Amino acid sequence: MTETYLNDTVINAKGTPCSRSVSYPIEASAIRKWAIAVYWPEPAPEVFMYAEYAPEDFDPFAWGPASYESLLPGDDSGVVYRHGINERALGFPEWKFRAGLNGGMNCTYGVRMHVGDVITDVKSVGEYTERQGRNGLMLITQSISTWTNQRNELVKRTINTGICY
Amino acid sequence: MNSSSAPSTPASAISRVQVGEQLPPFTRRTDFDNWNRYAAVNDEFLPHCMNDEAARSEGFPKAFGMGNLQWSYVHSLLRAFIGPDGAILRVDLQFRNPNLRSQVLTANGTVTAIAGDVLSVELWTQEDKGSRLALGTAVVRI
Repeated sequence: MTETYLNDTVINAKGTPCSRSVSYPIEASAIRKWAIAVYWPEPAPEVFMYAEYAPEDFDPFAWGPASYESLLPGDDSGVVYRHGINERALGFPEWKFRAGLNGGMNCTYGVRMHVGDVITDVKSVGEYTERQGRNGLMLITQSISTWTNQRNELVKRTINTGICY
Repeated sequence: MNSSSAPSTPASAISRVQVGEQLPPFTRRTDFDNWNRYAAVNDEFLPHCMNDEAARSEGFPKAFGMGNLQWSYVHSLLRAFIGPDGAILRVDLQFRNPNLRSQVLTANGTVTAIAGDVLSVELWTQEDKGSRLALGTAVVRI
């Protein structure tokens, strides 16, 4: 039975920048398809069918970035981490979990994403904590994702929480 | 397609928003047909969202939906209320229970505070038997 997930390496990693991704230019057709899927089976709002801007929840990295760069020293794995961070390259223990779940998001928004915008996502390590649950000791992970556009304006900053057990 | 579900709060109604007001709910029956469409636009083909057996192996009774899709439902709820000229400034949402396959999921909101043109909103999603699945808050400008 795991007594704790939190060693010094995990605790001290908080705030470490991990990766930088750059999106392809946002296309109106990607926004349209996103809106159709989200609003289905009802029709999507007209504003997203002939879109000039994207809904706040649109993800321009959904099908991969145009470029990806690890910011962690010695990380030449080439693996793209879209939602999380490269815990192995950070030196975290190689935990084996039965399940990994989305625990929630906390997002502060800046400017809208418009068609043609190129978004940069810089991910960093958030706070790691643990808690006893009905499935045993759970690891609560956080990654922080900061999106800016090509004018370096803040698009959004999201704290993503994961639950692993 | 028409625009029947487009953001619809008229500017003239904004001044009438009151603390305690409930946002018009956003409701969807959730099953593989929703989730497959969302997976296709968000590259989110998670096994526990794609088949019941994978979800059971993780301790759930059957397949369950993506948290990111509930996130989008909550944003759709807010957009419809604030209208096209409004802005979502902040959303905080925690997932407490899984959105199991075939549930009817409703995203709800209640205005909790008003400061000028900025509203605070309590958010939650619930399934058709009344259990709350996600809880949170939002700040929006109208």
